[in-house]
Amino acid sequence: MEIWVQILIKSASLFILLLAAVRLMGKKSVASATPFQLVSYIVIAVLSALISANVISNPALGLITLGVWLIGIIALEYLSLKSKLAHDLIYGKETVLVKHGRIMEESMMKARLTGEELLRALRAKNAFSLADVEFAVLEATGDISVFLKSDRKPVTARDMNIKIPPMAEPQTIIMDGNILDEPLSSLGLSRSWLMTELDKLGLLLDNIFIAQVDSSGELYVDLFDDSVQNPQPKVRQLLYAGLEKSQADLAAFALQTQDENAKAMYNKNAKKLEELLRSLKPYLLN
Amino acid sequence: MTVASQVKQTLAALKGCQGTIRLYSAQAQKEEVRAVYDEVLDATAEIIYDLEERLSVLENQEPQYKGN
Repeated sequence: MEIWVQILIKSASLFILLLAAVRLMGKKSVASATPFQLVSYIVIAVLSALISANVISNPALGLITLGVWLIGIIALEYLSLKSKLAHDLIYGKETVLVKHGRIMEESMMKARLTGEELLRALRAKNAFSLADVEFAVLEATGDISVFLKSDRKPVTARDMNIKIPPMAEPQTIIMDGNILDEPLSSLGLSRSWLMTELDKLGLLLDNIFIAQVDSSGELYVDLFDDSVQNPQPKVRQLLYAGLEKSQADLAAFALQTQDENAKAMYNKNAKKLEELLRSLKPYLLN
Repeated sequence: MTVASQVKQTLAALKGCQGTIRLYSAQAQKEEVRAVYDEVLDATAEIIYDLEERLSVLENQEPQYKGN
């Protein structure tokens, strides 16, 4: 067999073999690989390049080497999935670097980490001052995770005692002017609903690049034509304003009427509407 | 504008709001959200009932403006 045919066959079959092997190795990203994983990925890559370019002339020997590395990695990953002990042995355990705001110098030594490197990693996590850090840990992948002191953490809605309605993820229902039926039906909506909404906004399907619906059924669209102002949903604000106006009307009627019974009725209902507005506010205005 | 027609206007606005809220309640994906809307629906229904009652009294008092 001519040499170029050999190379062609080898390269093509390795191409498919590697594709399958990488799929088998799971979805972990290379960026979060532990040092050992990284080394073994490189070994596999170099080996297959050598075999494919016919540097390793005996394909059987080459395939054996490649097979050992591939099966070895997949076996290790499977083992570490099944046993915590194996996982810690193979990939190492995380190391606590800062505890109760104090740096653990011994662990730093063990991890071969200088103070400079620790500070750089902390800065990358937006902890410029060591005083802000309560706890930091060196993950097995070499990343440093930081837990800030509780008074240095970003404020959440819960801290502020603000009520926020539960929101599910929005669904994309139009892409490149095409309706995507699956997400639409997963929200329990139909094409005719979409057409009505688009009519309300005065838009044609062809003009829309992307449209999303949030969990409350509000439609957000982005148009191909960027000179046109994107129509933004306003129904909620209008509803809130309408209710507010009704509440003001009721209060005014209460002032105007001479009839004591009617005055009491108006006042009661004005108060009731005020309470409703308060409970609706997080849902309608946000 | 008579008092009756003012009340009628507010009543109509409230009914419009009620319709929109009913729509939201039907569209709501989460049980929690739907419960809030349903509660609001009940309360607005009570207010609307009171206003209708008052409106019929007003129209009795000023029959010459009935229907305005």
